[in-house]
Parts: sequence; C-alpha cells; structure tokens
Amino acid sequence: MHAVVFIKQVPQQNSVKITPDKQIDASGIEPIISLFDEYAIEEALLQVEKNGGKVTVVTIGGEEQIDALRKALAMGADQAILVNDPALRNIGSLGAAKVGAAVVRKLGDVDVVFCGKQSTDDETAVFGPAVARYLDMPVLSYVYKVHELDPGAKRVVVDRAMETTTETVEATLPAVLTTVKDLNQPRYPSLLKIKKAQKADIPRWTAADLGLNTAELAPKVTYLDRVPPPPRPKGSMIDGGSAQEKARKLVDVLVNAQVI
Amino acid sequence: MANEVWLLAEAHSGELTAATKELISKAQELAAALGGQPAALVLSSNAAQVAETLLSYGLPKVYSVENPALEHYTTDAFVGAAAALIRQHQPCVLLTGASLQMRDFTAALAADVDAGLGSDCTGVAVRDGHIVAMRPSHGANVINTLGFNSDLVIISLRRQVAPEAQPAGGSGEVIRGQFPQVAQRMRVVKVEDKSNAVNLADSQIIVSGGRGLGSAENYEKLVPTLAQAFNGAYGASRAIVDAGWVPYERQVGQTGKTVSPKLYVACGISGAIQHLAGMRNSGTIVAINKDPDAPIFKVATYGLVGDVNELLPALTEAVEQKTRS
Repeated sequence: MHAVVFIKQVPQQNSVKITPDKQIDASGIEPIISLFDEYAIEEALLQVEKNGGKVTVVTIGGEEQIDALRKALAMGADQAILVNDPALRNIGSLGAAKVGAAVVRKLGDVDVVFCGKQSTDDETAVFGPAVARYLDMPVLSYVYKVHELDPGAKRVVVDRAMETTTETVEATLPAVLTTVKDLNQPRYPSLLKIKKAQKADIPRWTAADLGLNTAELAPKVTYLDRVPPPPRPKGSMIDGGSAQEKARKLVDVLVNAQVI
Repeated sequence: MANEVWLLAEAHSGELTAATKELISKAQELAAALGGQPAALVLSSNAAQVAETLLSYGLPKVYSVENPALEHYTTDAFVGAAAALIRQHQPCVLLTGASLQMRDFTAALAADVDAGLGSDCTGVAVRDGHIVAMRPSHGANVINTLGFNSDLVIISLRRQVAPEAQPAGGSGEVIRGQFPQVAQRMRVVKVEDKSNAVNLADSQIIVSGGRGLGSAENYEKLVPTLAQAFNGAYGASRAIVDAGWVPYERQVGQTGKTVSPKLYVACGISGAIQHLAGMRNSGTIVAINKDPDAPIFKVATYGLVGDVNELLPALTEAVEQKTRS
C-alpha cells in the first residue's frame, strides 16, 4: 500500500508577532512538526508495517520546512517531497488542499492519505476534508482509532472522536483520514536514522510540476486585519486569613457580579 | 444571485439546538444588513418536522431535504445534499455551528461549491455591505478579521455569538429539495456516548485542575465536586492529561478544547501559554494557585493564593451554602 502524509512545520510556541503588512512573524521560535501531524505520520508507518508498502511525506511551503520532512524520514517514512513555489504562498487552507490533491494525483497509486486534524498555528481544520473533496475521496476526520485498514479489500473502519460520542465509521479506500492526539504513540527516531535522513534526497516540486494554474489558487479569503487579543481587564486578589474566609469572599464577589 | 443568508439548522429529538437558535438570530441580523432574507437549511431523516419548527421562528423560507441517509452525519450525504441546494438557489451566506461535524461539513462543502470559508469564527458582521468574520488563530494569540471575495461565504460560528432566537410565529414556506444521487462511500456503524461525556464548549461554568493538585486522586476528589456545586463541567490542563490523571477529552488548551464559559475556575494550573489559548476568552476567570507569580494570575479576574487542597473543599462548601440559601 502507499500512504501519503501531509505535514506542516509550525512554531512550537504561538507567541508570534504580527508584521505591519499583517503577516505572521515566528522568527526566534523553535519550529516543530504540528502536533496532530505526528500522529498522522505514526499511523501511516504502523499501517504500512502491517500491510507492506511505502510512506510518502509531503509538505507545501518554503525551504525552512525541510526540517519537518527530515524528521518524518528519520521516523521511518520512505520518501519526502517539498512542494516549494513562491506562487503557492498565502493561498489559504483551501488553496493548499488543491495543491495537496494535485500531489496525490501525481503520485498516482495512493491508498490512503493522512494528515493532522488541524495545524496548531492556523487551526482551520480545513485541509483534510477539502483535499478529500478535491480528490473525490471519502474523508474520515478526527480519527482516534483505526480498527481495520485493508488496501486489498479497499476498506477502512475507524473510530472518530466527537465531542460527546465515539462514532465507528467504515469507508471505502482510497480515503483521507485526519488524526487526533493519542491515536498512537509517535516514535522517537534513532540516531542512525536521523543521520541517514539528513543526507536523504528530497525532491522539490513546483506548481508547474503539478500542472497547476496558479490563478485558480487565488484565495477567496483576505486578512483585513490581524491583531493581538485585547488585554484582559486587570484582576484583583481575594485575601483572607483562612481558606474558608477566602472562599466565602470569592462566592460573594461572584454573586454580586451576577456570575453565579 | 439571491441575497439569502442561510443557516444550517440542527435538532436533537426534534428540538432545535441552542447553537441553531443563535444562528437564526445572526442570519436575521445579517440578512437585514445585506437587504436580503434569512432562510434555514435542514438536512435530516425527519426534516419535515424540523422545518415546521423553524418556520415558527418567523423565517420566510426553509430549505429541507429529507432522506434516511441523513439520519447520521456523513460528509458524503450532507455535503452532497447541501451542495445541490446551494447550486440551485445560490445563497450569499451560509452559517453553521462550529462543532466537529460542522467543521468537517463546511470544509468539504466550501471545496465542493468553491466558496470562501471562515472556519471556527467568533463573530460575523456586515461592514460596508460586505461580510467580515473574526477568527482567532495561533492559540488565540492572533485575532484575524477576514474579508471574502466569493459569491458564497460559509462561516462556522462558535457559541455565544448572538442571543437565542425565540419562536415568533410565521407563515413562511418550506422548499423541499431532492436528495441527490451522490456516491455514499461511508457508513456510520455505531454511535456510542462517551462515559461521563460533556461538551465543554456548551458549558457555562467550567472548573479545571492542574498539576498543583498533586495527584490524580486529589483531582478526582476535589475538581468534579466543585464543578457539581457550581452546576458546571470539569476540565484539565495538558500537564495532567499527559500524566494520565484525566482523559484527553477533558483537556482545555490549544491542543485540547477551546472554551469560553461565563465562569472558568483554574485550580492549581500555572497558566502555560498552551492552556491560556484554550480559555482566555472566558467571561470571568478565577485562578487558585499557591504560587503568587504564576502566569495564570495575569489573565485572572479574581485570584486566590493558597493551597488548592484546602481552598477547593472550602469553596465547594461556600458555593453549596450560597446555592442552598
């Protein structure tokens, strides 16, 4: 089987700055693989270990994203591709999903696509369901357990973690699965594999390589403004001689403020 | 293009959800500002009944598709049905809730009908005749104002964006759509309620615990009890979820749930940036921590310095006394 995993590199902390032209400046913050994508990589590796085949990891972004791909290779992915084209910057989640769909089409023989349920920076949760739609594949989002993934029978059965329920859903393959935290235990790469991944050849693909007309990728959403959140009003401390006194004072304050 | 502002209505056991009632108010407000009309969209295995309920809220139009395939949400069935109606009637706005199903639905639908999408927004308004939407990103460290240049704008909206609409009587019409011939490649095998499950996003009061509680036993003894006294729900910080004290579905924070209740009580939580991302939009924040320099106090409306293992039982008692009196 061939599993494709889309990953994204994000700032470890979200204490980002906003530039005057409304771009996000994450300089000085350590870059990491977006948390939920790590579970996507691990699940692809587990399924390929079971069924045989290969794992391809893909990132859409600039050269700085190469570290995320090397880490995925060190975890055990067989090949990595960086889609790097200045024409593909700032195209939004839907634009990125169109590019992702073109990548899967070019790869051709894909049985399953994994990605995190959302990135931890933009947090739109759009990429997975949208890439499935562009590929005309079923999507199983918020997967926290894979019961069965059988490329021969072209069948996948998963549990989806919803707010108050667990849904068991089956679908045909090929399909797109988006992963939540704790679906599995992402592995630590060995030193040997890290060294090997550093030397791996990672092809760069452009919009032209994918046969994409960049005019069709123009985002339908624009940022009119981007600001830090308004500061919270200054709070006050509740003092008292005993725990009981503090507790009573707090309850009185909450009642007076009509919070309870 | 019709100047219609649609909302996707959801019902449980025939009752409209609170989120849907908010969306009705919001759709009415936006339609008035755009010089258009609000309308509801209902996709369900018992759509006829829900459509009648929606008309009683004074909506002039309800678009309805009824089919057994719509009993449980699947992306294929819901997006297929909605896309067909959208292509036929061409609304300019579609509002939905921001539940996980709706996040899945709006993403696939926007791709299908080539719409502009604002995902998980905290507000939507009309400015100079155009729709703008507000959405936080980067763990609530960035507030984005989105503009759109598409014929259709789809917005998934969090709770508390508008007052819940009240039934107003009405004589609107129901427009029945056909369930289209779509590939149905997925099937819901079963749906199980999680044990002790609660939708934190719907809770008005949340009590959360962190490492300062010292042990899983202390958390279990103190936090749910205080939450119960408040008639609220209970959550946890990432640190104690990772430590295995509490299951992941209770985690509040950037990699867990994002909540904005009326009252959030943080007990023994230091206030890591990842936790603040999930709760800083709460109405009133109470922080209880033994370290007076803990970052949680920077966002707290009221702070109590002290040992959570003494303060929580005292607070539970004080709340119970107050609610009894």
